[in-house]
Amino acid sequence: MISLRSPFGWVLRLMAVLTFIYLLGPLFVIVAASFSDTGYLAFPPQGFSLRWYRQALGDVRYLNGFFVSLRLAGTVAVLSLVIGTAAAVALTRFRFPGRALLEAIFLSPLVLPGLVLAVALTLFYAAHPVAPPGLPRLIISHLLVGVPLVLRVMLPVLKRVDPALEEAAQNLGAPPLQAFFLVTLPALKPGLFAAAALAFIFSFDEVEMALFLGSARDAPLTVVLYGAAQMQMDPTVAAVSAMLILLALILMVAQQAYANR
Amino acid sequence: MTTVSPELVLEGLARRYGSTTAVARMDLAVKPGELVALLGPSGCGKTTTLRMVAGFVEPSEGRILLRGRDITTMPPHKRDTGMVFQSYALFPHLTVAENIAFGLQRRGVPKPEAAERVARMVALLQLQGLEKRLPKQLSGGQQQRVAVGRALVINPAVVLLDEPFSNLDALLREGTRIELRRLQTELGLTTLFVTHDQAEAMAISDRIAVMNKGRLEQLGTPREVYDRPATRFVASFIGRANLFVSTDGQHSEDGIALGAPGPGTWLLRPEKIALDAAPAAGPGSVAGTVEVVSFLGTGAQAVLRLPGGRALLVEGPAALADLRPGAPATARWTRPDLTLIPGEN
Repeated sequence: MISLRSPFGWVLRLMAVLTFIYLLGPLFVIVAASFSDTGYLAFPPQGFSLRWYRQALGDVRYLNGFFVSLRLAGTVAVLSLVIGTAAAVALTRFRFPGRALLEAIFLSPLVLPGLVLAVALTLFYAAHPVAPPGLPRLIISHLLVGVPLVLRVMLPVLKRVDPALEEAAQNLGAPPLQAFFLVTLPALKPGLFAAAALAFIFSFDEVEMALFLGSARDAPLTVVLYGAAQMQMDPTVAAVSAMLILLALILMVAQQAYANR
Repeated sequence: MTTVSPELVLEGLARRYGSTTAVARMDLAVKPGELVALLGPSGCGKTTTLRMVAGFVEPSEGRILLRGRDITTMPPHKRDTGMVFQSYALFPHLTVAENIAFGLQRRGVPKPEAAERVARMVALLQLQGLEKRLPKQLSGGQQQRVAVGRALVINPAVVLLDEPFSNLDALLREGTRIELRRLQTELGLTTLFVTHDQAEAMAISDRIAVMNKGRLEQLGTPREVYDRPATRFVASFIGRANLFVSTDGQHSEDGIALGAPGPGTWLLRPEKIALDAAPAAGPGSVAGTVEVVSFLGTGAQAVLRLPGGRALLVEGPAALADLRPGAPATARWTRPDLTLIPGEN
């Protein structure tokens, strides 16, 4: 164990502080700028005003975008959770040829850059309009990443669950499906929560696919923000961002509180 | 002789995986209230046999009858078996009481009756005060008792124990197995018990089924398998064995004057051999050099290296430990100490 008082310990402390500044600095700038009394984004902020918040909350585009994002991310989280968990159960509980390959294929969308996926999907939907444009198309596209995210979280969790648990439940009189729902699913609960949160946050924050595949009418918040940041760089954008940061903070604290329960 | 119809019958039960045979045509009948141990080294097919009875492994051949009913193809949840798993497999999100009540709920036992039966089981296993705890808040021994209680509370036709003591430390293990045996006798539970520990099997079984490479080598009481082993494998797996092969009945293949009544494979248990310092004289004696002595508390063990190169294992009183390694000594035995092994392998 390295003592924090040793010379090397001081270097470690300095590194930790610098890392925090690097990670949290941009967030701090955005939050600070949102309170600026100027008509443009300014840092350090000049004066103090809440009017950009008032303006953001009064702007129907942001509000609409927020609810579209909520609907999108909520649907993606639930669907990813169901499909991803089912796939994870199949991949851990059954032995069949090509299992390892299938696992790799399932996880592969995670390593593709978002833009590549977005362009590929645009071309795909142009040739095969399998889903109606707008939200349904976006939901299906987000599942391509949401399902692997859930899978990534649930695979190790499932591998840790003793397969004898379900056998014990069956031995005591529970049919196989009931055994899964009564015993395995509750054992997976903390993992399920984390996986759903991950899929939700991904979908809520995603820009590229939303930009390429979404419709102008049902634009998620990220797309609205993107547009606003290009058109008029006033502190409203910063105010919306600050509120999103607050929302993420609340979710994170809630998840930690749930996990430590 | 009264004929009691057996509770559990295995008829020519076999399980093959591709070209390998896990269990080869096994016949076994367990009487009501009897505890039968499936004993053998790992990979001998004992666990596969138990899992076939529980319904987790499908037999390739043969039948399983429980209380006269053919359950060979019945799914696990419809069979009336209560299994204690090696890992205990306690439900981590349920309390002790909820774990024990699980099987009763599945059977639709009314709440008041279920609560009463759980309470009785909790008292029987001395788990009072722990009802509201989660499994992870229990010691290994307590977890094991919950696993036993969960399997027994449903009054199964047969109790299946899969190495239930292997996760306990040595001291706890002996106490726990005696406790389980007492419970099993008191409640008259028909029990099939899988273990690789011959001492454990000897200590608590009515009969032992010794298995090797998927085959049932011998079925008998602990005394029978120890005193009259059917095969060389049984002789050396149950207790310790000195084995001699003799073609003329007088000498073993490596030239020891056995004094056996005839040709065959002969077993000489270490505790039947006496050691002294006088020279060897005629059949039933052989001189050698003491190689290792170990003091065991209740007695002692010595290894005698014989001129032909063979090591003879001797067990006797604690005084045996006073022998000095390197000292000459003579081993002696009499004709009745030798047991003929009928099977060859």
